[in-house]
Amino acid sequence: MATAAPVARARRSTELSLVVMAGMITAIAYTFASLGQYTQIPARIIPFLLTLLGLLLLAHLAVRWFARGADPTVLPLVALLHGIGYVMITRLEPERLAGLQTTWSVIAIVAFVLTLAVVQRAADLARYRWTFLLLGVALLVMPLVPGVGSSFGGARIWVSVGPVNFQPGEFAKIALAIFFAGYLADNRQLIAGGTWRVGPLHLPEPRALLPVAAAWAFAVLVMVAERDLGSSLLFFTLFVVMLWVSTERVAYLLLGVVLFFGAAFVSWQLFDHVQLRVDIWLDPWSEAQDDGYQIVQALWGLSDGGLMGTGLGRGSPDIVPVSESDFIFTSIGEELGMFGAAAVLMAYLLIVGAGLRIALRTENAFEKLLAVGLTTIMGIQAFIIIAGVIKLVPLTGITLPFVSYGGSSLVSNYVLLALLVRLSDSTARRLQEIPDDPTLAERRAARKQRRRATSRRGVRGAVT
Amino acid sequence: MNRKIRQLAAGLIVLYLILFAAMNYWQVGREADLNAMDGNTRAIRREFSRPRGDIVTADGLVVAQSLATPQGSDFPYQRQYPTGELFANVTGYYSLALGSTQLERTQNAVLTGQTAEQRIGNVEDIFTGGEGTGTVQLTMRADLQEAARRALGGRRGSVVVVDVQTGAVLAMWSNPSYDPNLIVQPDFDAAVDARADLLEAPGDPLLANAYQQRYMPGSTFKVLTTGIGLEAGVVALDSDFERLSSWTPPQTTNPIENYNGTNCGGDLREVFRRSCNIAFAQLATNIGVDGMVNGVGAWGIGQPVPIDLPRPAASTFGDTEGLDQQLPLLAIRGFGQNDDQMVPVHMALVAAAVGNNGVMMQPYVVAATLDSQGRTLTRTQPTEWLRPISAQTAATLNSLMQSVVTDGTASCCLQLANGVPVAAKTGTAQLNNDGQPERSHAWIIAFAPADQPRYAISVVVLGTNEEISASTGGRLAGPIASEVLDEALSNG
Repeated sequence: MATAAPVARARRSTELSLVVMAGMITAIAYTFASLGQYTQIPARIIPFLLTLLGLLLLAHLAVRWFARGADPTVLPLVALLHGIGYVMITRLEPERLAGLQTTWSVIAIVAFVLTLAVVQRAADLARYRWTFLLLGVALLVMPLVPGVGSSFGGARIWVSVGPVNFQPGEFAKIALAIFFAGYLADNRQLIAGGTWRVGPLHLPEPRALLPVAAAWAFAVLVMVAERDLGSSLLFFTLFVVMLWVSTERVAYLLLGVVLFFGAAFVSWQLFDHVQLRVDIWLDPWSEAQDDGYQIVQALWGLSDGGLMGTGLGRGSPDIVPVSESDFIFTSIGEELGMFGAAAVLMAYLLIVGAGLRIALRTENAFEKLLAVGLTTIMGIQAFIIIAGVIKLVPLTGITLPFVSYGGSSLVSNYVLLALLVRLSDSTARRLQEIPDDPTLAERRAARKQRRRATSRRGVRGAVT
Repeated sequence: MNRKIRQLAAGLIVLYLILFAAMNYWQVGREADLNAMDGNTRAIRREFSRPRGDIVTADGLVVAQSLATPQGSDFPYQRQYPTGELFANVTGYYSLALGSTQLERTQNAVLTGQTAEQRIGNVEDIFTGGEGTGTVQLTMRADLQEAARRALGGRRGSVVVVDVQTGAVLAMWSNPSYDPNLIVQPDFDAAVDARADLLEAPGDPLLANAYQQRYMPGSTFKVLTTGIGLEAGVVALDSDFERLSSWTPPQTTNPIENYNGTNCGGDLREVFRRSCNIAFAQLATNIGVDGMVNGVGAWGIGQPVPIDLPRPAASTFGDTEGLDQQLPLLAIRGFGQNDDQMVPVHMALVAAAVGNNGVMMQPYVVAATLDSQGRTLTRTQPTEWLRPISAQTAATLNSLMQSVVTDGTASCCLQLANGVPVAAKTGTAQLNNDGQPERSHAWIIAFAPADQPRYAISVVVLGTNEEISASTGGRLAGPIASEVLDEALSNG
């Protein structure tokens, strides 16, 4: 069994109190939303509270069992975001989506627990990097297969399995991040080194860069074909960041920026829907009744909320189309005010900080890069959608991690969280902060080896 | 790689700081500007999604209420007016895009539970399941209002009943009225059309004509003239008026005639009960310009009627500049023609003042406001408005007005059940010029019981084509006043 570890105990106690605090905040917000809308304490407050605490405790216990050295702040922050998101979704669509989001929340927490249980050594993932590449590509391509995939809202990113619709692209991101981390960890010197001379330029060996560049180009193309601009942007950024961090060459960063603006310009020239998005971004006011309606109502919602917000249940975020997923941030900004929105921003920033801290602490290159990749996915995804809904950049349709309504998004982000927690725990073990207990797999392997050794010895008799 | 990771962290922090700055820009910097933009309906929607309390009559009938809408409707409540047009002019309407009027507007804070007292009291609603709304209790009686509508029937006009001692308005009906349910219906286009139609309809159904319009009073004005004369000592019960059928006032050669050129004269009681125009023309001339101007001012003419509803009209005596050079006009105005115009509610208050020892009370329709638990928030206290005449003059006028009923111009048609004594003055305001088809407003003002006055009423039937005579007012308006006063007295 697990040996004693005061550091782990301290971390887990902190995490428990923070998780309970996040749960209480969610419950209070849930009550206020009902008070705001119906001037009544919500009828099902007790079952809600019990389910909420049950799920949170389940997640916390999973961390306690499987990753007890992990950073104590990430799970509570995620629980807080998840809770705020859940309260907003219930407030916006109590009939249609609240029940669904509850189901997906349960599935997501279960996925979190399973990921922690299955992935006992983060470094093991590196072994399967080519598998993850294939998996990632398959998931990306799935919606394009006729008969399997379907279009919705102009983007062909959905796949239906029975009654359930999910977005394989959300999981593809994680798979491809694992692949990149694994490949770059091994080959970064080669990619960083400028051994191939092309005139005055020192370029890396094409053989080294090719697989990664090909995977990336393929991913971006598929996303463009699926008209999922937000994910293409996210993916592009992920790749550029991982390449830059692993090779430590600024040239890749600059190249990435140039390529991005180039591609953006080309897509603006070629595609109507891109032009429309840019037009609305520049001037939504003149189209306030049709194309600009969504963003204009969102901004009016924000200004109606002001600093303190209108109060949960007392604003009109429901008149913004898609207020429960893409525009959930402005719904929060409207009802919880700038203070509430700032709290959400802080939460994401703190999660990003924790993730990068994990990256800094670990010595293992693969784990470093994986932590960077996963953190970048979450941090940049949140940035892109928030910036889009407040008219800082053109709007793209991606979800706000943990907060938006969306089953695939929620599950994939909890898997991502589990991996981060796993990385944090691995680092703690390696740094001897907690004793490094053998995993189930390792114990089984050790037992097998012992049996083999004793069976050999057994021919000769007892041990001497 | 660590250096790059730190740089990445710095970069992400900068990105999030930019987001924070952008949020500041929208939610603080441009907050006022965005909130004021055309097309921003958030404040209105917030208003409109609140639960809203009832407006009830004194006898407990709900005349405005909010009903819960089925799930999935645009708004959680739909405002409904169960009595349709009956109380429309008092309650007004409360609609999303077409605004709110009358009590729905002025009592909005009480109805939505936003007054300071209600906010404090609403805390317990969270646990008792109340909705934190307030109730507006009217002084008006549904049975009287219905009686007024029934009695007036399809004719254009108004009926106002006030409590003599308090000024509380017990009934205030004018025809045409309108059904506010048409304006608050969820189908916005239909509502807009309905309102547009009403705006163009003849008779101004959207206006509460009983207190927002004024009409030529005809002979009912003689009550005021007599009161002014008695107070000034210019006339007394035993004053004698020469029997004349025609009289030429100073500064003109055009004579004034009685109705149908009849002969009329005698003591004050005689000319009052027969409503002789010449006598009152002479009286007004004798009182003089200053006397009349001050006198009508004492009766409240020129002041908006102090009712607790928006935009009341003010009665008028016409332009008084240079009136001393136009004495014929003064004379004619003395018997309620020319530029005299009286607001129907004001006319009821005139009758009430006579019945209340000369004290004219302020009219009001809101008796009390209650919170969601039924506790009283405010209760209107009866307030004196004016004292146009002394108690003695009032007693004299009371006696004169009783003569109008017993053997005067109202004797045909104003009789109350159980022989209850009633005092009244009729009026027929001639609208046409000589030679044109006859058109007039038929008035009556009255109070009952005459010996212990409790209810005062004014009735005007507008623009009738009946043959004009001294008794037209009595014949047309008298039965209406009868029916309504009977209803008032029978139910307390």
